[in-house]
Amino acid sequence: MRDLYQRLALAPDANDHQISRAVARCANSALRQDATAVLAVAPHRETYDTLHHTLSDIGRLRARLGLTHGAHWQGDVANDFSLPPDNAISRHDELVDRVSHAVSLYNRWRRLRGPWLLITVFTVGAGIGLALGFALSLGFGVG
Amino acid sequence: MSIARFSPFELLLLKSRSQVDTATLLLLGWVLVHRQHVSEGQRRRRLAQVTAQFRHGHELGPVMSIAHSQDLHAIQLAAEVVRKECSKERSLSVMHQAITVATDDGAISLANHYILRFLADLLNVAPSTLATLFQELTGKPLRPPEDPSREAYWQAHDPEHYAQKAKEAAEDAEREKAARAQAEQQQRAKADKHQEKKQKQQEKQQQKEEARQAKARAEQARAEKTHEEHARAERARAEYARQEQARRERQRQEQARQEEAKHHHYRRASSPPPPDRTTRALAVLGLTPGASKTDVRRAYRRMAQLHHPDRFYSESEHQVALASARFQRIKNAYDYLMQTY
Repeated sequence: MRDLYQRLALAPDANDHQISRAVARCANSALRQDATAVLAVAPHRETYDTLHHTLSDIGRLRARLGLTHGAHWQGDVANDFSLPPDNAISRHDELVDRVSHAVSLYNRWRRLRGPWLLITVFTVGAGIGLALGFALSLGFGVG
Repeated sequence: MSIARFSPFELLLLKSRSQVDTATLLLLGWVLVHRQHVSEGQRRRRLAQVTAQFRHGHELGPVMSIAHSQDLHAIQLAAEVVRKECSKERSLSVMHQAITVATDDGAISLANHYILRFLADLLNVAPSTLATLFQELTGKPLRPPEDPSREAYWQAHDPEHYAQKAKEAAEDAEREKAARAQAEQQQRAKADKHQEKKQKQQEKQQQKEEARQAKARAEQARAEKTHEEHARAERARAEYARQEQARRERQRQEQARQEEAKHHHYRRASSPPPPDRTTRALAVLGLTPGASKTDVRRAYRRMAQLHHPDRFYSESEHQVALASARFQRIKNAYDYLMQTY
């Protein structure tokens, strides 16, 4: 299957007017005929768009997984739906990174919990004491 | 480094007893979502049947909802897990399950054609192996998928539309023919009337002439001759006028056509740059169409860090050159996107 939008230099969400203009502009008569048969008829276009969406997803997946030159990915589909493969970011490595980061944060919290708890209790106590002393001195001042 | 929230599928994977099984489950769910004419309950039941021996230890509901949302990140993660952990036998069995789920008692959908081939590439299953596996499981050979981007596909799959179109065209032609016939008839009637009038006029003149003949017989021959000559000259003049008009009409048409062609040419010459370029630039940054400006900026920073030539300083010169080419490409894409956004 070919990517008619790409071949007509259109965005996949182009409206009917843009499509008819692109078709009129197109120099290839066979492509013009196919484009009118597929994109100008609403139910045909809907079916085509669903498959187009899935194929774009697969093309993106293949690019990210380094499968743009697979044995099963050939012909028109491979021509039209392949993307540059150099942005391979492994989601699994990312997940492992994030889990290890979360684990280190957790461990740090466990390790520092004792001292931090002591410090918090001390500050809270000191704060309450100060507030009480202030109130008492104010009371004496008034009395 | 800020830590983003874990996505539903990542949480599922972390909680699962067997990550491969969970990942396979998501891929099978993805295949099932692309099956047509199947209810949600049937899908779940089928998935439960096929994966009865899996040891994931969680519900199927969340997996199916992730598959329905077609979350590309989740599917990519699942594919990576499956590729990393599957032995050769296991990958064949996964392929087996995927074919079963995609085809049982029905034709395989177009989307599933491509998904199955993607899975086969992912699991390193050769085309011949896939073909034999498919043949064994379904009893039918695995054909190349049909192509809905061609008119022939729609002529085969939507004959009603074409029948209707043919009918409409025939009706149009008939109407046009009838209109033309009517116009012709009208014209002929008009011409007939005109001729009758002319004949009448001639008769009248003849009568007058006869009267005149009675008056002056000697002048008769000459008078008739001059009259005839006069009529001939008049006819010739009318003919000439008609020809002149036709010529002028033709000239005007030609001029209009030339003007239109010029206009057309002009339009073609000044066509806008293809919107495809934005898509390609976004793809270079690993983004999908519709990404926001902040997304672009963030992706650019990450890619620039990843591919900066200075990172490859300790490695070979070739590596540095490759990295700088990559970096240049990323920078060009980013610059273009910043101009358009």
